[in-house]
Amino acid sequence: MSKQIRSRWPTWVRNWINRRIPRSDVQLLTQRNLFILPTAAGVVFGMLLLIMLITAINYQNSLIYLLTFLLGAVLVGAMHQTHRNLSDLELTLVQAGEGFAGDDILFRLRATAGRDDAIALTFSDGDFSVRVNHVPAGQSTDIALPVPSAFRGYLRPDRIRIETRFPFGLLKAWSWMRPVSAGLVFPRPIAAPEVISAVDDGDQTASSRSPEGNDHAELRPWREGDMSQRVMWKRYARSGQMVVADWEADKGSPHWLDFDAFPGTDHELRLSYLSWLVLERGENNARFGLNLPGQIIVPESGPAHTSRCLKALATWGEKKPRETVAQPHGTRRYSPSDKPSDATPGAPV
Amino acid sequence: MRLLRRAKNEPDKQGGSLSSLALLWLIASFALLLTPQLDRLPVWLILVCVALAGWRWLAQQGRVRLPGRWLRTGIMLALVAVYLVQVQGSFTVDTAASFFVLAVGLKWLETRTARDFYVLFYILVYLATVNFLFHQEIHWALINIGAIALLLIGLQVLNAPELPGGMKAGWRRLGIMLLKVLPVVVLLFVFFPRMAPLWSVPLVSGQARTGISDTMRPGDISSLAQSSERAFRVTFGGSMPEYRDRYWRGLILDTLDDGTWRQSGYDRYQAPGRVNVDGGAGELKPREYDVLMEPTDQRWAFSLEGSVAVSNNVVKQPDELFRFRRPADSSVRYRLARERANEPGAALLLPVDARRYLQLPSEGNPRARALAGELRRASDEISAADSSAGDIEVVRKLLTRFREQPYFYTLRPPKMPDDGIDSLLFDEKRGFCAHYAGATTFVLRSAGIPARVVVGYQGGESGAGNEYLIVRQYDAHAWVEAWIEGRGWIRIDPTAAIAPDRIESGLREAVAEEGSFLENNWTSPQRYGDVAIIQWASLHLDRINYQWQRWVVGYQGQSQMDLMSRLPGGFGMRELGYLTAGIVGAGLLIAGLISALQIRRGERRDGYQRVLGAWHKLCGRAGVPVRHGETPTALASRLAVAEPAVADSARLFARMVNSHYYRPPSARDDAGDLTRLRRLLATMKRQLRRTGKKRFGIFRSEPHSGKHSD
Repeated sequence: MSKQIRSRWPTWVRNWINRRIPRSDVQLLTQRNLFILPTAAGVVFGMLLLIMLITAINYQNSLIYLLTFLLGAVLVGAMHQTHRNLSDLELTLVQAGEGFAGDDILFRLRATAGRDDAIALTFSDGDFSVRVNHVPAGQSTDIALPVPSAFRGYLRPDRIRIETRFPFGLLKAWSWMRPVSAGLVFPRPIAAPEVISAVDDGDQTASSRSPEGNDHAELRPWREGDMSQRVMWKRYARSGQMVVADWEADKGSPHWLDFDAFPGTDHELRLSYLSWLVLERGENNARFGLNLPGQIIVPESGPAHTSRCLKALATWGEKKPRETVAQPHGTRRYSPSDKPSDATPGAPV
Repeated sequence: MRLLRRAKNEPDKQGGSLSSLALLWLIASFALLLTPQLDRLPVWLILVCVALAGWRWLAQQGRVRLPGRWLRTGIMLALVAVYLVQVQGSFTVDTAASFFVLAVGLKWLETRTARDFYVLFYILVYLATVNFLFHQEIHWALINIGAIALLLIGLQVLNAPELPGGMKAGWRRLGIMLLKVLPVVVLLFVFFPRMAPLWSVPLVSGQARTGISDTMRPGDISSLAQSSERAFRVTFGGSMPEYRDRYWRGLILDTLDDGTWRQSGYDRYQAPGRVNVDGGAGELKPREYDVLMEPTDQRWAFSLEGSVAVSNNVVKQPDELFRFRRPADSSVRYRLARERANEPGAALLLPVDARRYLQLPSEGNPRARALAGELRRASDEISAADSSAGDIEVVRKLLTRFREQPYFYTLRPPKMPDDGIDSLLFDEKRGFCAHYAGATTFVLRSAGIPARVVVGYQGGESGAGNEYLIVRQYDAHAWVEAWIEGRGWIRIDPTAAIAPDRIESGLREAVAEEGSFLENNWTSPQRYGDVAIIQWASLHLDRINYQWQRWVVGYQGQSQMDLMSRLPGGFGMRELGYLTAGIVGAGLLIAGLISALQIRRGERRDGYQRVLGAWHKLCGRAGVPVRHGETPTALASRLAVAEPAVADSARLFARMVNSHYYRPPSARDDAGDLTRLRRLLATMKRQLRRTGKKRFGIFRSEPHSGKHSD
C-alpha cells in the first residue's frame, strides 16, 4: 500500500500531501483536502467534445454547437456534483483492528455525510477496497476495511483513500485519511517446540495428541467452550460423564510462559511461540502468566487476560507510532530528518 | 450493500459484468438514436443492429451466451463484408454514417466491462452529433437530446449500481444539473464566435433527395407531385404575392435530345466547401423575402421573377437565376428582393443564345413541327410587318388551342414512348405540366421563337397564421419562357390554359376530380387537407419548426453578427472570442463561489464547533495548544495551570461543553447554552487580556490578540 504510493510519486508530492492531510482519526473532507481530476474516461470525453466542436465549426451546425456546449456544461456540473459528493463528509476511525500477523486486519471507519448525500464511495488501502453505495445526508455508515498485515506490532495504514466517481465516472474526487490510531498485530502463532517434538504435524498438535498417554494430564469436567477433541470420549462412553483432559499439568512451570524458555531462537520466533501458547492456554481457560523482558503479567485466566497477553506480545519492543497532534495545517514544516516516517512505527515528532 | 474485493485481482472498476439497468439505458438510447437514421439506413443494417442489441440483452439475462472471440470475429468480418458489397466503394457521408451504426452494433457483442460501456457512450454521443447533420427539426433535436439524457442516466447507474432513490432520483439529479447549466449553455450558444469552417468538408449525400432535377423527362415531375415534403418556406417583408404569381424559378432547361430536356452550360467547377447557411439578417424590408430552403445538394436557389439578391450567399446568373456558390447540403436561408418592375426589354438576345434557345433535334415529332409551321403562317398573315407581334400571335394561338381543345391535366398520364410530343398534342391530349411545357417549347422553337423550359415551383400554401409560405414538392412545376423581340423573355404557362385551378389554387384542386392527389402517400398530413384538426396540427408543428430553424438552427455567423451589431459596443469576432472566454470563466467562477459559500454555510451550522474552535485558538494563544483527542476538561485544567486567572471560567466552560455533548438531545437548550458559552468565552478573553497587561510576557508575540480574538 504505502510502497505502491511511494514508488509512484516523488517524495515532495508525498510530503505535500502529508502536510495537507495531517494524521488524524477524524477527518472532515473540505476543499482543503479534497482533490478532483478527470478520469481517463473524462479525458477522452473532453477530446470527444473537442471533436464535436470542430464538427460544429466545419459543418456550421448550430445544433452540434448546442450539444457540445450542453455536454461541456454537464461536465462542469458533474465536477461540482462529484466534489459535493465527498465534501463535508466526515470520516472517523471508530476502531483500529487487531489480528495476527499475515491476516487482514479490519479497520472500522464511520462515514458521516454532511449536507449532501454521498453516493458510490470507494474506500481503499491499496490492497482492498470497499464500496459504499449511499450515505444519506446527515446520516452515517460504518465500513470495515481490511488492511493486510505482515509483521507483528502496530499497524497503521499510511493512507486510506476515499474516492468517488459519481455521477458519470468522468471525474474522480478523492481524499486520504491518515489515521493516528494504530491497529495491533499479534505475533503469528507458531507451535512451540516442546510440543512439536511430541507429534508429527504441528497443526494438529492440540487435537491428535492422546491425553491418555500423558500422566500429567489433569482431568476436569467439561465446560462450555472446551474443544470437542479434548473430550475423553472413551470415558464418556463408559461412564456418561463429559471429561476433558487439561494440559496444564504437563509442563514444568505450568503457570508461566517465559520469553527465555526458548534459548537460541530469534526474538520474533519466541514471540510467535508465546503467542501460540497464550492462545492455547486461553482456549483451555487455563491460568497462566507471561514473562517478557521488561514486562511481567501475573498469572490469571479469561479472555481479557489472553488479549492482554497478546497485546503485550504484539507491542513488545515496539514504540507506539505517534504523530503530531491536531496541528492546524501549514504551521509546521517538516525537515527531512524529523519528518514522520510512515512505515516504521515510532519516531514521535 | 457493500462489495469487498481485492483491488489487485480485479483492476476493473466495476468488476466483471455490467449492471443490467445501465445496459438497458444504453440500448434504449441506441434505439432512440437510430430513429433519425431510419430513412437512410439500409434495412438489413437496422435488422442486424436490432439482432445484436437483442443478443446482448438476452446474454445479460443469462438466456444465451455472448459469442467467443472467434465467433465474434467471424460475425464482424461477415457483416463488414456485407457492408462493403453493399457500399461498392462509394464513399459518402451516408455510407460513413451507416458504417458508424454498424460499428455500434458490433460493439454490443463486446460490452463486458465498464470500459466498453464508455466506448459505447462516446460512439453514441457522436452518433447524436452525426444525426444533427442530417436532421435539424425540433423533434429530432429533442429525440437526440433525450437519447443523450438516457446515456447520462446509464452512466449514473453504471457508477452507482444501486442508485439511491431509484431512477427518479437519477432523473431529478440530471434535470437539476441541466437546469443549472442552461444559462451558461444559452450564453455560449449566443456568443460563441461562429467562425468560418476550419477546412472544407463536403457533406454530399449519396442518397438522391426528393426535389426537382436538372433533367426533365415527361413524368419526372408527376412523380414529384406524390411527395408532400417541404421544398422551402418563405417569409415576405410585405404582403404575399397572389397565388397565380407565385412562380418560383429554379433552373432553365434549354436542350432537348432524345425526349429529355436538359440544361446546358452549367458545368462549372464546384469547389468543396460550405454555403453560408444564414444569409440575410435583420428586419425584412417591404419588398424583400426570406427563403429557408431544405437541403437539395444542388446549387440552385429558387426565386420569384424579377428578383435581386440581398444576402451574399446567392449569386445572380445571367438568365435571371440564382445560384449558391456550393451545393446546399443543409438547409440554407437566403434573402432576395422583388424589383419594382420586370423590364428586361432592353436586353438583346445574343446570336449564340438565340441558337441555344432554338436548338431542336433534327428529326422527330413531325406533326408538332407541322403544327408550328401552320401557326407561324397563320400569324404572319395577321401581322406580317411586325415580327414580334407575329411571335405573340403564335403563342396566343397555341394557348388558345390548349384552352379550347379537350386537353386534360392529369397525374396519371399515359405512356407516350415514340414521338411523345406528337402523341400528347394530337392523340392522347392528357399530360402533366412537364409534358405541356416541353411540347409548348418544342412548338415555339419549331416556329422560330426562342423558347426554354423553366423548372421550379408554383404556388405554396400559407403557414399557420398566414405568416409565411410553405412550398412543397408537389408544387413543383414546369413552364415556358419565350423571347419576344422588344419584350424580352415572357412567361407562358400552358398549364394555366389547360387547368387554371392548378395555377389559381394549387394541385389539390386541379386534380380533385381525378382523386390522384398524393394517392400513394398515405402518411402525409397534406393528403388529409379536408380534416381540419390534422391540418391545424400540421401547420402549427410546421410553424414551430420554422421558427426553430430560423432562429436556432440557422443561428450562424451572419445572424450572430447581426445580433451583435444591435448590442451596444459593436462586437466583432475577436470581442466575441473574449466574451466567450469571459462567460466560461465567469461561469466557472460563479459556480465555484456558490459551492464555496454552500460549504461555508455548512461549516457554520454547528455553533458549538465554532465556539469550541475559538476556545481552542484562545488556549493556543495562551500557550496551551490543544492536544489531539484531549477532552475539554483536560484542556481546561491545563489552561488553569498555565493561567490561574481564567481557571474558574475555563472549568465552567469545559463542563458546559461536556454537558452539551453528553446530555440527551431532548434536554438541551441549544440557543441558551450557546449564548452562555459565548459570554464565558468573552469573559475568559477579558481575563486573559488583563493578565496579559499585568504580565507583559505572554502576549508579546501577538500584541493585537485581544482585538483579533473574534
